[in-house]
Amino acid sequence: MIHVGQANVPLCDGVSRRSFLQAGATAMGLSLPTAMELEAAGAVDPKKQKIKNCITLFLVGSPGHLDTWDMKPDAPADIRGKFKPISTAVPGVQICEHFPLMARMMDKVALIRSLHHNTGASHENGQRWMMTGYDFNAANIQPHMGSVVSRVFGQKTSLPASIVLPAKIGNTGTSTPHGQASGYLGTAHAPFFLGSDPAVKNFKVANLEPPKGQTDFRINSRRNLLKQLDDLQRRTETSSTIQRDTAYSRAFNLLTSPKTRKAFDPAEETDKLRDRYGRNTFGQSCLLARRLVENGSRFVTVNHFDTVFNVTCWDMHANGSSLDNTYLDYERHLCPQFDQAFTALIEDLEERGLLEDTVVAVLSEFGRTPKLNNRGGRDHYPPAWTNFFVGGGVKGGQVIGSTDKIGAAPHDRPVLPPEVVASVYTAMGIDLETTMMPGPGSRPVRFIEADPIKELFG
Amino acid sequence: MDQKFEGTPKVEIRLDGRKLSRGEVTNDWGLRLQWQVKRDGKVIATPPARAESRYEHPDKTPGKYEVVLQMWKYVNYKKNKQREFISSKFIDISNTVTYTI
Repeated sequence: MIHVGQANVPLCDGVSRRSFLQAGATAMGLSLPTAMELEAAGAVDPKKQKIKNCITLFLVGSPGHLDTWDMKPDAPADIRGKFKPISTAVPGVQICEHFPLMARMMDKVALIRSLHHNTGASHENGQRWMMTGYDFNAANIQPHMGSVVSRVFGQKTSLPASIVLPAKIGNTGTSTPHGQASGYLGTAHAPFFLGSDPAVKNFKVANLEPPKGQTDFRINSRRNLLKQLDDLQRRTETSSTIQRDTAYSRAFNLLTSPKTRKAFDPAEETDKLRDRYGRNTFGQSCLLARRLVENGSRFVTVNHFDTVFNVTCWDMHANGSSLDNTYLDYERHLCPQFDQAFTALIEDLEERGLLEDTVVAVLSEFGRTPKLNNRGGRDHYPPAWTNFFVGGGVKGGQVIGSTDKIGAAPHDRPVLPPEVVASVYTAMGIDLETTMMPGPGSRPVRFIEADPIKELFG
Repeated sequence: MDQKFEGTPKVEIRLDGRKLSRGEVTNDWGLRLQWQVKRDGKVIATPPARAESRYEHPDKTPGKYEVVLQMWKYVNYKKNKQREFISSKFIDISNTVTYTI
């Protein structure tokens, strides 16, 4: 089987060669005929290709803002929680004691402490808001930011424009969209889901592996056979068919390209650097995100967890059952893991001269209740939370907005999710006033109906 | 996809008087790193060790001190009724050093 977006396509002898090629092309997230046609029609302006990259770290489950980046040490004990704040590189800005490495680089970070939304408190609500800028239902799926970037700007190299690591978001509570699909932009612009864990030994990209029994020799033999057939057809077919065949050929190259495989291989890095990111699924995904951006992908999303059930994750209900994350998980696992990987990513991007051209956005679905529940956990809370940006020309060392004394609501400069999404696009260098995207029915629409957070770009 | 942590972290620690220092952790899982300080066989402190590679325990109570570096080992997130982890635990990842006051 080969994975195409979220579907499985059977692949075995007897399946048409063209279907195999199409499957490979789509699995790669190639814009394929669409991009080529757009380019041919002059719809893609080469000047617009010079946008910056984006790496989004999506903290599935959502950290409690009072336990991480918006601490209230003077609040009552059942509100301030168990952790203590520490000073950072920015005078007057404090964060949780379990982020000591991040505290040292706070001069690069722009914290937004007044995020909120007014719709439901499900994880999926927040995921849709923060990854598309819209709330919507399954009948009207809005595209993920990476899909928008893929559709408008296409690919820089043979790598997909938008990639999600290590896996797509699965069950987080309700069967509503997560915001990691391409919607009306079509499957050609769906993110490429890695579907493998880069932290394991002998890691291989599931979606780049030929199906069992398909050796490079057999794949190349099929390419040669297809070429002969297509040469025959080419005499009678239109130029658009020829463009498509060229695109399929590119997809073939992607499946068999050593360069592509190298870009996806964290083992190309030194042990020291791999250790710096943390030898775990999230850390190695962050390392892979840097490699992919470095090699031409435009928009890489790292999901810190793909579910909230029966795993250690940010969703600290402490319910004694399938949602039993507690302060212990934060202290021993989640905060150290994030602190290590996030700071390694920023340092690594900076050392390679990539940070100015790469915006890193750390996003989550909502905050968590200001008052501890009777089990010592915190529950979902969309009225207030903190996310942050680094790089891509964003002005670091600042805090935008604030919450009230107990972190229950924005106190000043309230920020809504569409403003964050608009800020991601703007940080990538996209002029939202002049750049349009094809909306439903291909009519030109704005990327997002919101203005960016202007303070980020001081 | 559950979190994977393959291999085993290792690090060497050194003692100079009461001053401790550590090298770089190899095969670092990236989870909580802490000094475990025992006095006469009883754990008396577990300060964090991630941000700084040096540490000096301030307690000067007479006794035999043993120090080792530990890292959190995630097996799964299951906890017992006392809300403590059942399988996940801290493991020693360094040599042990001792001093006497």
